[in-house]
Amino acid sequence: MVRPVHFICISAIVLGLAGGCGPSRISSPSADDAAAQQLRVMLGSTAASGNSSGDLTSAESTGTGWGSLSGRFVFTGTPPETKALVIDKDTEICSKDGRKSLDRSLLVDSSTKGLANVVLFVRKVSRVKEPSETVAASAAVFDQKWCEFLSPVFSAKVGQAVDVRNSDPIGHNTNISGSSFNQLIPAGQGTTYTPDRETGMPSMVICNIHPWMKAYVLFRKDGYAAISGTDGSFRIQNLPAEELLEFQVWHERSTGPNGSLGLEKPELKWTKKGRFQIKLVPDEEKNLGDIEVPAGVLGG
Amino acid sequence: MTPLLKSPRGSDRHGFKKTHSWVVFCTLLGCFFVSSGCNKTPPASFRSNMIEATKQRLSQSQEKQVATVLLAMFGTPDNPVVLAETGLDLEKLTLCAGPVRSDIVGRKNGLYREHCAHCHGITGDAMGPTAAFLNPYPRDYRPGVFKFKSTERVEKPTHVDLVRILHNGIAGTSMPSFALLSETQIDALAEYVKYLSIRGETELSLMRAFFELDDDAKGILPETREFLIGEMLLPASEKWLAAKESQIPVPLISEGVDLVESIAKGKALFYGDKANCVKCHGVTGLGDGQANDYDDWNKPIVEIDKELRGTRERIKVTATASMSPEELAEHVALQDWVTKLSQVLDGDSLKPRTVVPRNLRHGVYRGGRRPLDLYYRIYAGINGAPMPAAKGAVSPEDIWHIVNYVRSLPYEFDGELGADRPLIARERF
Repeated sequence: MVRPVHFICISAIVLGLAGGCGPSRISSPSADDAAAQQLRVMLGSTAASGNSSGDLTSAESTGTGWGSLSGRFVFTGTPPETKALVIDKDTEICSKDGRKSLDRSLLVDSSTKGLANVVLFVRKVSRVKEPSETVAASAAVFDQKWCEFLSPVFSAKVGQAVDVRNSDPIGHNTNISGSSFNQLIPAGQGTTYTPDRETGMPSMVICNIHPWMKAYVLFRKDGYAAISGTDGSFRIQNLPAEELLEFQVWHERSTGPNGSLGLEKPELKWTKKGRFQIKLVPDEEKNLGDIEVPAGVLGG
Repeated sequence: MTPLLKSPRGSDRHGFKKTHSWVVFCTLLGCFFVSSGCNKTPPASFRSNMIEATKQRLSQSQEKQVATVLLAMFGTPDNPVVLAETGLDLEKLTLCAGPVRSDIVGRKNGLYREHCAHCHGITGDAMGPTAAFLNPYPRDYRPGVFKFKSTERVEKPTHVDLVRILHNGIAGTSMPSFALLSETQIDALAEYVKYLSIRGETELSLMRAFFELDDDAKGILPETREFLIGEMLLPASEKWLAAKESQIPVPLISEGVDLVESIAKGKALFYGDKANCVKCHGVTGLGDGQANDYDDWNKPIVEIDKELRGTRERIKVTATASMSPEELAEHVALQDWVTKLSQVLDGDSLKPRTVVPRNLRHGVYRGGRRPLDLYYRIYAGINGAPMPAAKGAVSPEDIWHIVNYVRSLPYEFDGELGADRPLIARERF
């Protein structure tokens, strides 16, 4: 004897199965068909469109003089304890004589409260002061020792030969994310890497053999970039004066989009994308003084 | 609820008439058909890269702009469009696009959907219905990174490389051989993979370009040829055209080299500090060295998941009571972002898996088993995977010695079988 309740149960199961139980996916945005048609015609024509230049980062050329910008990033709040990394490989080299490798993602100088490894670079400039010959000839060195990249944050110019070195008696590999550069560096040897394009923001560098090894690299065409030192100070020289310069600021632990360091600085019109603008007059040595970075904008 | 269900226990035990049961049955059957619907299946569409869009915190109108630009540049899965700059052959793409069907002369069309889409997905995002069941996961073409090729690490594979993979399949994975298809069909499918890859890479560039915009651009990408083609499309498509010129040079191994001697040299290099193969492939060559690393497809998922957890923790402890209206709005926006990101991760990504260094004692080589293939893998490393390039660090002659040693590994007699291997490995025998 089949009871009504059986019917209902079976039918409910069938209904449930028909409805499915897969994960609900967010719907993909739909394109604007009419706008796409128009755009296709424009893209298909070989005539250059009359609108403004497509280059997202180009600046109007102005003036002839040069100036410099300096300042100091200061961490406000209680500096977190610096943790030691877990070293579980090649300890006879990497932890030689009880040496400890530290997590360098948030380095605050205990006496000056200076915040190290903040990256600051110009987004676009109209002209670049040619560097002196000595600077141009010296290759940038990106070294590793005791299973650590010696520069936690490193910057070089596009086209500049970077000497990627290994000063350890064991082999490493240097893997720059987003660049397809991943090269074996045998013990005590080195190789040359010449960046061929800009990194919008610093890219992570790792060694896959020793996964705790981590650093960041920034490659810019104009070379107008600075990395704050242990006391948090930075300085960029020979910046073109008399033009509105937009600076981008980055920190590894920043919670902003793509690591951009957004600060509350209305006087500099500091944006959430970690950008501010400044116009220098020729021969000006602009000092921004202490720039406070609250603990809240740096995540875990 | 029908009153039938509420009838008191026992009172209507036999009173439920047959007619009633039929009424219930028919009603439910009707419900079933209504719920499953009778609409025609909507036309196939490309799915946006929701992970990147959410990561870049794009607004809905920005997501729409990207979708519109891509529709203009690449068309739909049923009607592909190509711009001359891509160098793609529309005739080949047409053979692969659209639903599976025969054309007027009886030629099979819709090849991609017939053979590839169930794993690689309509969009080439490796999110086809079978993808979750495969290990390794199918390739996501959108980042434009390919592992098994004859070109320098940073370069794209040649057309011939893709054709070879389609012909041979990838040993040790779920990718089968398509040798039963005609040359024309395989050739067309290789072209379609390029099309999806260029589309995916252009999409990534477009989504990332919003961050680079100046504030006065009001969050809208410039719709000019210079920008859309010059800066977004060409960087992705030019490399495909240049692949042929970036073939890895392969010097022949000098004649008269004794194989036993070469294998011994290769072994010394394998364990030595120069080539350092041992660090990942293990002392035993079983691939049990480095085991907690991710490849370039899984790593972004791991990283964004970490960001999600961090943000979730952060907003949990934030006190909202003392916030200004702007701070509160920002807090709410962040909450919405966390909700969206967790939904996107659920629906648009598979659980990340660590990448396993190859067990070299199986004699199964994914990128091909010719000595030449092994030479390519060692010389340029494997793009997208942790395997680094030995180029420059190890001489071509030494690379050949390593190839010979690696090829000898499946047959190497090491005394008592497995005696020198770690316990966990011995249990496999």
